[in-house]
Amino acid sequence: MTEVALIAPPVAPSVDRERLTAFGFALPSLIIILGVFALPLLLLLGVSVIGPDGLTLVNYQRLLGTPYYLGVIWNSLRFGLLTTAITFAISYPAAFALARARGALRSLLLATLFLPLAASVIVKAFAWTILLRSDGIVNETLLALGIIEDPIRMIFTETALVVGAVNIFLPFMILPIYANVAQLDARYAEAAATLGASPLVTFFRVIVPLTLPGIIAGVALVFSLSVSAYVVPTLLIGEKYPTLATTIAKAYLLAREPGFGAAAGAVLLVIAIAVVTLSSRLSREPK
Amino acid sequence: MSETAPHLVVRGVSKRFGATTVLDRVDLTIGRGELVTLLGPSGCGKTTLLRLVAGLAQPDQGQIELAGRDITNTPPHRRNVGVVFQNYALFPHLTVAGNVAFGLKVRGAPKAEIDAAVERALSLVKLGHLGGRRISALSGGQQQRVALARAIAVEPDVLLFDEALSALDRKLREEMQVELRRLLQDVKATAIFVTHDQDEALTMSDRVAVMNKGRIEQLAEPRELYARPASLFALNFVGLSTRIPGTVVGGKDGKVEVDTRVGRLSAVGTFQSGSPVVVATRPEQLRLDAAGEANAVSGRVRSVVFQGSRTLIEVDAGAGESLLAELSGRDAAMPRVHDEIRLAWPIAETFAFAAEPHA
Repeated sequence: MTEVALIAPPVAPSVDRERLTAFGFALPSLIIILGVFALPLLLLLGVSVIGPDGLTLVNYQRLLGTPYYLGVIWNSLRFGLLTTAITFAISYPAAFALARARGALRSLLLATLFLPLAASVIVKAFAWTILLRSDGIVNETLLALGIIEDPIRMIFTETALVVGAVNIFLPFMILPIYANVAQLDARYAEAAATLGASPLVTFFRVIVPLTLPGIIAGVALVFSLSVSAYVVPTLLIGEKYPTLATTIAKAYLLAREPGFGAAAGAVLLVIAIAVVTLSSRLSREPK
Repeated sequence: MSETAPHLVVRGVSKRFGATTVLDRVDLTIGRGELVTLLGPSGCGKTTLLRLVAGLAQPDQGQIELAGRDITNTPPHRRNVGVVFQNYALFPHLTVAGNVAFGLKVRGAPKAEIDAAVERALSLVKLGHLGGRRISALSGGQQQRVALARAIAVEPDVLLFDEALSALDRKLREEMQVELRRLLQDVKATAIFVTHDQDEALTMSDRVAVMNKGRIEQLAEPRELYARPASLFALNFVGLSTRIPGTVVGGKDGKVEVDTRVGRLSAVGTFQSGSPVVVATRPEQLRLDAAGEANAVSGRVRSVVFQGSRTLIEVDAGAGESLLAELSGRDAAMPRVHDEIRLAWPIAETFAFAAEPHA
């Protein structure tokens, strides 16, 4: 009993101390998140519901009740979904190829994925305009080869917008999926095969479920990046394809309607949070 | 064994990875219901042979037949084999029951049949109550059982175990060896175990194939393998032994006289005079009290290791040679370290093997 009494007291404080230490480690990031992110967010939400005569929902009514702005929301959603779907279709096989590559080839492929991240989005978007405009490299080449007689209209179309966005956001999809695939034990597929699963069945019943965390991370990243993209739509399609992001910019910079811009920002935030929450819910879903 | 019809036949199978020959014209015939172990050091080709049978690798040469079918070019999912992997390879996204049901589901079995088979397989490995658990919530021993249940549930023509027990701790492993053997005999399974653990091989199998450098050196029942090893490699790999190199100086009637650095010894074997050989015997053959026709060597006790029911004594016989004797606890006068003793053992239990440069 004496021994227990001697040992017992220090145990409880040490647990508290551990918690305190953990809290201490988290404190800097907590301050940054609260001060730089949560607080402005609250201000934003406040601005969106405060009018000259007190609380008002007029900004939200305008956004969700006008066909034009519903079209804007639809544009954002459509652009985000299209970009995410196409990026995924390219990235999934690419991640497997990357994981299978060995030695110098793998280093080279990873470098080509990482290097563009160092370049500004504006630079990459401008590069696409140089490629795609009427007197751009693609049209000039096709004309010179005699494949076409007149320049094709590529820039300022939805296709150009999505192609450019897919190219720019590709690393954000490939890398999480690659990280998942690279640590996937080959024995899972072998076990499935010996249990009678054909390669196709193995793919859908074993490989896809086991790479789901990577897929979801990539989808959440690329969707939230593209749905909120400002530079890419501005440079590659412009005025005729207004999105929530360009609408926000216009509200703040041109129309001087901070309340309306804040409301559009809130709607954008809700869409992004909904998708990310749905994704993480899916990945935790037990079978 | 020989009285049952051949069930799995491996005929002249070779496999090379680049310049390395991993399997060199291996022949192996296993009867229905037989438990066979492939035993050998890492790199001997045992796992490759198992993978060839499972269809996870293709032989460069040779043929494999299972249950009367030539399966040499059959992809793994059409072979009807069950594999228990070293790390179990249980699907982490499925429950215990989901793992066990997997093989039947992909075969398109009706749900009622799947449920019954899953319940049967899980109760067979005594995990009937854990069907709803996630794999990550199981202990290593339980995961091992799930892997076994998953392989058994599809009623495969042959069960293949790739170092399946090596991840368990010693006590659990020894329990599982006995339990697994009983279970496999109950369901009349034909099984191949791959292991580097000689105790596992001797405990679990009807026959043991000792593999070395891509070939089967000896295929024998455990008792015979221990008492009558066919090669120096087999002798070394299974059990303890005393080994003394020497040169044959004569012999007749299947026996040879060998000159060694600790004197002249007689051994069973047929060699020409002048052949370099290694004379060997098992430690339990050595006695303090010599009687009848025997080899005898004197020396000084180097170490005495008490192991409960037996005591291992290492004797320095001079000239760099040593003897290993296993004396039972009942031996009245147990020698002490530094004692000068004389050990003798029967000639009929002394064997001469061709000396191998690498041995």
